[in-house]
This record gives sequence, C-alpha cells and structure tokens, in this order.
Amino acid sequence: MDFIDYYSVLGVPKTASEDDIKKAYRKLARKHHPDLNPNDPEAHKKFQQINEANEVLTDPEKRKKYDQYGKDWQHAEQFEEARRQQQQRRSYTQGSTDEFDFSEGFGGADFSDFFSSLFGQEAGAGRGRRETRYRGPDYQAELHLSLRDAHATHKQTLTVNGKNIRITVLAGVENGQKIKLAGYGGPGVNGGPDGDLYITFVIADDPRYKRKGNDLYVDEEIDLYTAVLGGEKIIQTFDGKVKVSVPAGTQNGSKIRLKGKGFPVYKQEGAFGDLYVQWQVNLPTNLTDEQKELFRKLAAL
Amino acid sequence: METLVSVNEFCVYHQVEVSFVYLLEQRGLIQTTQVDQSVYVHPEFVARLEKLVRLHQDLAVHADDLDIVINLLDQLEHLQREVVQLQNRLAFYESMTEH
Repeated sequence: MDFIDYYSVLGVPKTASEDDIKKAYRKLARKHHPDLNPNDPEAHKKFQQINEANEVLTDPEKRKKYDQYGKDWQHAEQFEEARRQQQQRRSYTQGSTDEFDFSEGFGGADFSDFFSSLFGQEAGAGRGRRETRYRGPDYQAELHLSLRDAHATHKQTLTVNGKNIRITVLAGVENGQKIKLAGYGGPGVNGGPDGDLYITFVIADDPRYKRKGNDLYVDEEIDLYTAVLGGEKIIQTFDGKVKVSVPAGTQNGSKIRLKGKGFPVYKQEGAFGDLYVQWQVNLPTNLTDEQKELFRKLAAL
Repeated sequence: METLVSVNEFCVYHQVEVSFVYLLEQRGLIQTTQVDQSVYVHPEFVARLEKLVRLHQDLAVHADDLDIVINLLDQLEHLQREVVQLQNRLAFYESMTEH
C-alpha cells in the first residue's frame, strides 16, 4: 500500500485554501465524471482518486490528520490510539451541502486502502450522504469465446457476484459486442428496479480462420501440380468438409468464394457470410536430378 | 417482467422536482406512461433518467441543457461501438499483411 499525495492528485499546493481545493476538485470532477466517460475505466479510477482527495482535504479534521502524519501514515494509528483514550471522539457532520459530492451513486465506498488505513473503513461513509441510486447498479462482465464458440448458438453459464446465470450466446456475435441482460445487475434500493448486466464478448483470434464481418478467410495449400493441371481439394469449414475443384492454371494467392460457407449472421436465422479460400501454391523443393531434368525440358519447350 | 417506476417516488427519492422529469420527457429524453392516475417511468428509461439526475445534481448542468449533454453522450457511445467494429476490421487487414 503506497502513500497517496492528495495535493498532487488535485494539483494544488499544500498551502491551498479550502476554496482552492474545491475549485480544483470541481474542475477535475467535471472532466473525469463517470457519466461523461462511458467505458473508460481509467477515468473512473481517476474520478475515485480525486473524490478521495477531496474527501480528505475539504474536511478540516481529516486534512489535519493527513498533514500531520503525511508519509508516516503507517504509524498514525498508534499515535491516534493514545490520543483517543484521552479525548472523546468527536463526531462530525458536514455543514453545508456539497453540490459536487460525486462519490454518491458511483459506489462512494470505493476508497483506497491508504484512506481506510488512515481514517478507518467507515470514514468514507461518514459524511451524511443521501443515497442516489434508486435503481440497482449495472454490472459489467466479459465473456471470452473462441471463434468456433461464436460460430454456433450455445448456452454459457456465468458466475456474477456468486450468482450463476445461464445465457444463450447467439451465433455470429462480434468481438467487442455488448449485450444487456435486463435486471441481472445489482439490486434496487427501496423497491427500485434492479440494474442490468452488460456482457462484452471477447473473441480470440483463430489460427486458421480470419473473420471480416460475416465473411471468413482461410489459406489453403496446394501443390504445384494441382495448381498447374487442376484437381480437387477438401476444405475444412466450421460446418464440415467441402470438396472444391481447383481449376488448371490456378495462380498463387488467387481466391475463390464459397457462398454461404462463412460466419452466421447475428440474429438472422439461416443467413451466412461467405468463405474465401486463398490458394497458397507450394513449390517443390529437394528435386531429384530426374525431376530437375524434366523441368529443364519444360522450360525449353 | 420489469416493473414500472413511479415518477413521484423517483422524485422524492432523488430530491428532484416532478417538473424536472416532465421537462426531460418534453425534450424527448425519456418516456413516461400513465396507469390509472399515476405516472410512471418506463423501466428502460430509469437508468437514463438517473444519469440525467446525476449530471444535473453533480455537475450542475442546467435542466434545459441536459439534452445537449445526453445527445453528445449517445453519439460518443455510438462512436465507441463503431471504433470496436473498425478495430476488428483493422485487425483483419493487419493479419492479412503479416504473411
């Protein structure tokens, strides 16, 4: 657990007045407010830091304690213990309503270990905040899938906050796609509705298939003789094997399209993208003398 | 089934005027529905309404200006989705040029 320099978090000098601190906090909070930075965990973290710094530096008692012990905060509790025995602990209430009290509604209890260690676990909740979430909080979760998993509709069981949730993953989901499960978030307060659960699909790259939208691309090797003379090739797809003909004179890097053999289209039953097969012609190596001679003859024709 | 949220209860809980909710509805930012004599917020708009309350109370954004902020936030989320799709496409082309 590291010491947190609350003054530098807010970008104010140690001599800053309460008004300066409030102004600095207000400026930073307007920038990093979670509602203005959706899907930005860094901004949320920053917001919690400035919130905590504000909590400490705008409370005279907390600021005094913080200033007094500074980097020796680890020993603060020992000093405090002696003081506590002599002095009845004063309870404090916040005088004025703080219109920039952001921590409410964003999990106000999210204080650092440093804060809890110096001021106690309950200190963050001691400012008489009203609860601002009526509806329960939304939860965010990630579900990691392989490309093959995403190719077919299937069931998955997730454990979110100790609760098992069985969901149906529809074929064709895209990497980074987010779905909402209404009512699977945190419980509402005072009869308010429960929050939602948002699941982001993270689909790993496949070593064989490349995906572009609903189309799949695959490299297939053929030997020189099949490329020159033509032939057949069995192509493995997600749905099974497909036999395709290789026309004579197939060039290295040329492509064919297998219509409807690509990826399923999300929420469109029976619709599929295409599969593009790119031919990789393997030239023979380690030729025997006889083979070399035959190639020479071919070249001379 | 999702439950309807009473506008009155919501306003008492959040310490906002009922007129604030009606103003947001007039601006097309949320939808309410009337059942018997009571007005309710449709469940799918509760999260949005709470966000609007936070912007109003936490950031002191004037109720008249909330539509500007929420519309920009909607655009931001739309663009974020588009970025994810474009990143997927870019990853595809990058993987094709690798070999």
